[in-house]
Amino acid sequence: MTEQTPSRTLPAGFGRAFVLTLREALEGAADDLGDLDRRAGDGDFGTNVRTAMKHLDANLEADEPSSYREYLTALYMAWLGVGGTSGPLFGMFFRDLAKAGEESGAEGDAGAADAGVPTAAQFADALAAGQATVQRYGEAKVGDKTMIDSLDPAVAALRAALEADPETSAVEALFAAEDAAVAGATATAQTTARRGRASYVGDASKGVIDPGSAAMAIVISSARAGADGSGVAHFGWIA
Amino acid sequence: MRRSILNDPDDLIPEALEGLALTHPTQLELHAEHRFLSRKQPARDKVGLVSGGGSGHEPLHAGFVGTGMLDVAVAGAVFASPTALQVLAATKAADAGRGVVQIVKNYTGDVLNFRIAGEISGDDAIDTEIVLVDDDVATDSGGDGPGRRGTAATVIVEKVCGAAAEEGASLAEVAAIGRRAAASARTMSLALAAGTHPGDDRPQFDLEDDEIELGVGIHGERAAKRAAFTDANGLTDLLLEPLLAELDLHRGDQVLAIVNGLGSTYPLELQLVARALHHRLGEAGIEIGRSLVGSYVTSLDMHGVSITLMPLDDELRRLWDAPVHTPALTW
Repeated sequence: MTEQTPSRTLPAGFGRAFVLTLREALEGAADDLGDLDRRAGDGDFGTNVRTAMKHLDANLEADEPSSYREYLTALYMAWLGVGGTSGPLFGMFFRDLAKAGEESGAEGDAGAADAGVPTAAQFADALAAGQATVQRYGEAKVGDKTMIDSLDPAVAALRAALEADPETSAVEALFAAEDAAVAGATATAQTTARRGRASYVGDASKGVIDPGSAAMAIVISSARAGADGSGVAHFGWIA
Repeated sequence: MRRSILNDPDDLIPEALEGLALTHPTQLELHAEHRFLSRKQPARDKVGLVSGGGSGHEPLHAGFVGTGMLDVAVAGAVFASPTALQVLAATKAADAGRGVVQIVKNYTGDVLNFRIAGEISGDDAIDTEIVLVDDDVATDSGGDGPGRRGTAATVIVEKVCGAAAEEGASLAEVAAIGRRAAASARTMSLALAAGTHPGDDRPQFDLEDDEIELGVGIHGERAAKRAAFTDANGLTDLLLEPLLAELDLHRGDQVLAIVNGLGSTYPLELQLVARALHHRLGEAGIEIGRSLVGSYVTSLDMHGVSITLMPLDDELRRLWDAPVHTPALTW
């Protein structure tokens, strides 16, 4: 990525738009995510999502983030304060996304909205790093009915779109990632859990979308919505 | 019908921690936001020691904060790991510039959150080492799965690591002695009755009058085996048999023995088990060099007992004997 066309960068204020969009979407989807978890898990995921968003609100208020890295840091610290297994794993995933802001160099003007916003390629690398971290801690493979099942195809689709055609914009590539993530999440309904709490109920998890994979798809959708300026992530497909 | 001494159930852990801090004002400092207790006078120029886990095992872990043992203990909800954020704050608080040993009982949530906290502590240039305690022979499945649970040997690991740290040992040395103790200690537990969650009116499982649960953990989960109820000598044999099968003990060996109550077992009962244990090991030519009898690692009000044995050598004996001054253990 030696020559970045302007369209391959993520817009100024991406960190804020991404995090606030995700916050709205997860609040909106918390009931449905909790319902999925009750049908194929231990039922605490909806509560954990709400707890994370409550922590996020507190962090945003206390820390007054201004850069991409600071917004993502508020998000990852929020998730690390949540119980269960998915909370700390989401926390470590967002921590890797936060690091993408550091890699994009100096924060520029202090408080500038585009301070440290990564390029689309850096963001793809950060998603891949986050996936590796989640898999290192959670020991889940693709197909185990976890958040990896929507993340892995999203990373692949994002990279493929960016590499296939230099004219593809960051937003277009993120739309491709979103589609792949949603398809990956809905496909988990056809599988039996092999990791996480849902693995204890065995075949009873069949027919139910994995709530972790659904939440991860909402993350990707929120990144797209943060980039295209709409601020609206899709989660109606969950219920 | 079981009743609990309780205010708002959501306040149980913070209020209990506050109670412990208020009653040990010269020893303990409460950090309410992240629910951990630290030494009132933080140690300087030594390796820090942090432990913690779900609540319901008291006096573990907060009762072992003090000179010669832990620097910090962090508390989750009853039987639930503290969050990674709590463990991170606790780990940072335990650091006195020479790194931190995290003593972790082998449960998925605890291991995950302590590992994550250790990794993030690295951002602040704090070196950490995890010592995993996995002493429960009842969950020894050999290889696959989550492995043996961590139970009463945690007291031994916290004690010997604490003593080594006070002596000025390095991070690697403290971790090594902890791992050596954890690797050589084994525990077996049984229950006559399950514990009851605070606010619940029923115990976690029911047992017939003529049976016991053999190989229970410390979270009220059922064991793989049931056995016939019998007298104190017989119950001691039930615990000792799998321990002797697991530990390679020979005539003339010396062990550290912990007879541990699981919550509502009273001291007279524990002394009967301690007596039987001394006689049985004595017949086998194995000397109990050091003993600890009492309720140290509990499972709410479970009525039961565990026996922990660890072969002693000069180093482990010296570290066990070293001075300790904590709310739950002092000599």
